[in-house]
Amino acid sequence: MMYFSQGVIGSLKSKDCRNWAAIFCVFIALFISLPAQASSQIEAANRLINTMVRDVESYLLADSGDISKRTENITKLLDTHFDIAGIARFSAGPYWRAANEKERLTYTQSMRKALIGTIARNFDQLVGLRFTIIDSQAKGSRMVLVRGTFRDKAGKRPPVSVGWRVVTPHPGPAKVLDVEIENISMLITQKQENIAIIRKNGGRFSALIEAMRQRQQTQ
Amino acid sequence: MLAYDWIEMLLNPTRSMLGFIIGLLSTAFLQSACSSVPETQRTDQRDPYEGANRGAFAFNMELDTHVLEPAANAYKRTIPKTGQHAIANHLNWTGLPATTLNSTLQGRYENAGVAFLHFAVNGLTLGLAELTEDPKAVNSQDFGQTLAHLNVPEGNFLMVPFLGPNTSRSLTGKVADTMTNPMSFLKAGEAAQTMQSLRPTVAAVSSRAKMSKALDDIKYNSLDPYARTRSLYYQSRAGRINAVVGKPNNNQTNDDQFESFFEDPS
Repeated sequence: MMYFSQGVIGSLKSKDCRNWAAIFCVFIALFISLPAQASSQIEAANRLINTMVRDVESYLLADSGDISKRTENITKLLDTHFDIAGIARFSAGPYWRAANEKERLTYTQSMRKALIGTIARNFDQLVGLRFTIIDSQAKGSRMVLVRGTFRDKAGKRPPVSVGWRVVTPHPGPAKVLDVEIENISMLITQKQENIAIIRKNGGRFSALIEAMRQRQQTQ
Repeated sequence: MLAYDWIEMLLNPTRSMLGFIIGLLSTAFLQSACSSVPETQRTDQRDPYEGANRGAFAFNMELDTHVLEPAANAYKRTIPKTGQHAIANHLNWTGLPATTLNSTLQGRYENAGVAFLHFAVNGLTLGLAELTEDPKAVNSQDFGQTLAHLNVPEGNFLMVPFLGPNTSRSLTGKVADTMTNPMSFLKAGEAAQTMQSLRPTVAAVSSRAKMSKALDDIKYNSLDPYARTRSLYYQSRAGRINAVVGKPNNNQTNDDQFESFFEDPS
């Protein structure tokens, strides 16, 4: 009986030990892989922002004030570096789920057009600015917040802190989802404005599309 | 966005006819604000008086179109850059006693000391010239932030005629802060009195001129200027409150909103 119980305890102990060893190994692997994953995420996000800033600088250098050329460059910039589908889905808020495929597509196209128009209107403001990354933080496994500062090379304008929210899918290229200027997220602002329009119109997603169409006609 | 410090006139309506009119309008606004919008019809749960608030916003926009925007354009055209800087410096200087007091109440003694030092040194020119090395060293603090630090609830969203967007808490804070304006207790003769009575108007024009691009964008390019202003106000305010108390109370942080976005697969 004693031998039997010792045997059972012994086998339990060795089983426990094996379990603990396995759990320990999993944890070690997790702790090693998590920072590695976060650092590769951060690297990808930083690389994207640096490339995008270089592209903006080259477009600004070549900018002669020709609106069609500027719009063409901004369109290229947006399509290469920004997550248009993600921006559309986020900015529609909970109403994205209620929208049908056609509405989603129309909204995405209108939103992209509005975004290009907004950047084109404000593109001049970037002349003479230099962007420097200050720090980058992984926000979960799919997003990185790259914080930095735009400084006026001539020192005439005060520095502006900007945060870029970059989505880092696995696999897939990193893309910009949002820009946060002095704590104000452009995407959240747009989302709250869109939600207000839809709610004012009895929850109709089509009302937002109609409002966007009207706005674009008057611009 | 239309954060004009005209509340001094509200506090002392006999100071001018304009102050009296503003007092009347605000009272009318506050009375109409009592009728709240049902929860299901609100475009933002923090805004129960949306109907009255939109009315006040429309009034502020009219005021902006007919008075402030032309005045700000004229200000930018006629006042040289150095003059504009001097005016902005003076307006910042008048806010330093409030920062000193509020930083002390929040236990941020270093900031209180720096603000006091800047106030004393720059006071030699009534704040018109920056005599201190780094004006950015002072982190401006208001009584609304102090109330947040003391866990006072944020309250509802209020769009106030002439004053722009507020929450009940920040509006209370603004009233308290105007009492610490050095020009209101400075008895330095007629010149100081003239500066004091002109201050609210100058502040409104100067801030409109400084933010002209952003304000014009809201006015002329947004789909719903009211909703956009409300969102911008809340986010900017949350950033300031966050700096004092950590996570803003009664409000989702921007990060929270993105987290829930990634959790939702649709």
